[in-house]
Amino acid sequence: MSIVMAAVEQGLIYGLMALGVYISFRILSFPDLSVDGTFPLGAAVGATLIVGGWNPYAALGIAFVAGAVGGAFTGVLATKLRIQGLLAGVLTMIMLYSLNLRIMGRPNLPLLGRPSVFRLAAQWGGIPLPSANLAVAASLMLGAIFLLHLLFRTEVGLTLRATGDNPGMVRAYGTSPEGMVILGLALANGLVALSGALAAQHSGFADVGLGVGTIVAGLASVIVGEILLRPRSILWALGAVMVGSCLYRGAILVALRYGAAVGFTASDLRLLTALVVLGALVAPAWRLHREEAR
Amino acid sequence: MILELVGVRKSYAVGAQLVSALAGVEFALAEREFVTVIGSNGAGKTTLLNVIAGGARPDQGKVYLLGRDVTGWPTHRRARWIGRVFQDPRQGAAPSLTVAENLALASRKGKRGLRFPLTRRRRTVVQQALAGLGMGLEERLSERVACLSGGERQALAVLMATLAQPRLLLLDEHTAALDPANAERVLAVTEDLVRAGGLATLMVTHRMDQALACGDRLVMLHRGRILLDLPSTEKRALAVDDLVRLFRQEGCAEDELLLSATHSPPS
Repeated sequence: MSIVMAAVEQGLIYGLMALGVYISFRILSFPDLSVDGTFPLGAAVGATLIVGGWNPYAALGIAFVAGAVGGAFTGVLATKLRIQGLLAGVLTMIMLYSLNLRIMGRPNLPLLGRPSVFRLAAQWGGIPLPSANLAVAASLMLGAIFLLHLLFRTEVGLTLRATGDNPGMVRAYGTSPEGMVILGLALANGLVALSGALAAQHSGFADVGLGVGTIVAGLASVIVGEILLRPRSILWALGAVMVGSCLYRGAILVALRYGAAVGFTASDLRLLTALVVLGALVAPAWRLHREEAR
Repeated sequence: MILELVGVRKSYAVGAQLVSALAGVEFALAEREFVTVIGSNGAGKTTLLNVIAGGARPDQGKVYLLGRDVTGWPTHRRARWIGRVFQDPRQGAAPSLTVAENLALASRKGKRGLRFPLTRRRRTVVQQALAGLGMGLEERLSERVACLSGGERQALAVLMATLAQPRLLLLDEHTAALDPANAERVLAVTEDLVRAGGLATLMVTHRMDQALACGDRLVMLHRGRILLDLPSTEKRALAVDDLVRLFRQEGCAEDELLLSATHSPPS
């Protein structure tokens, strides 16, 4: 399979996770680290259900709900119990590590030969599996973008956006921003878990270690999309996340395939990703600093 | 009565000391009454507004809104009756939302369902309301609030606060951060909207000339107490100089207060 096809396919599957990160980091301005736990939570819940004979689509739905509960838990820690946002996310993430092991009963759960949403689509449409992979991933991602686009224009969606912007204004206009943070984190982590469940069905296994670095990969996708497309509206911003996710996955595939020539190995991947995010975060401040110095 | 404060006391710990911000305030505001509140720094003006809006809970005493005891209510529950404009124009609206979206949220106060608030009808309504400000904002419905100037934002904030038809409007030195021309314009907009809506209003201000020119009753706070409460008949006969003289009689002619008679305070 061509590297471009693979990048788009993975970009769409992991793009759902990046949408979740966009919601928590950009819309709510909440640095939510629980995604490192809710991504494998989605994989664990989804895979366990499939092994138990559930329909793969139902498994995705239940994984979304499980992730939403995880996100809401972080939200409750941060708002009702007044634990710092970063710490609240870390606590949830650590708890979920143990919980994911319990759900699966072991660290790794293979799904080889089991039904998946991709196989179902291939059978149903009478198309080869690679096309089905792309079709399913694209329709889920575009569907999510469309629904979020609608949501962010409703009363509750506008209030979510205002919460990250100006919580005092939200309060003055009759809504508790705390409730909005809980709701927003539930939505974000639901998407992340959905992405995890989909990734497990795609790669044919769930692993307890899947989540490490999810947040950095998600942020990298969000930032790459923002830098390249400079979105001015929410719909564009959501589209930029999708594009960013595909480019990020493409970059990783290229690094893995051709990086060996310069001594690059798979184990260097996270270092590289973190450096890219670091650079993207620091660059604007550094540019501002230089302009002020002038 | 729209608002009643009964024996309200509130202290804050500053270091090891307990500083009394409100030292037994008795106050009542009737329907359609427009009261200006003046006082020096630390007189308790902002604490007074916070106690009414819900940001601060009194140590003692009761707050009644429309006859209900709301002393223990959180801010967002009282918000259905209260509109508030802050000193900082950045506090009034959500910067990444458009002008129309902010107004839509404000006019659907507290209702947070899955409805699209920006119907064509509401768009027309907010457009007309914006045109009433006379600042050309009706042409900029789809612009993000982050693109607006301080004066424009504050005019928008006043419109938002009055749009949902609150029973009580709280203005917290809402022109103090603006340049004189914009301050004047926002004040004129405020008076128009208050009159049109017949809103009970509490306007805190640093400036004596503003306190005398606006509203129909004047209250002076000093060290957490209401020192003067002038009804409209007495207030109308007053000039800034008379006000200064009155303060001297009460023994609190602080320099900053006298200065603020002629100059707006630095902010």
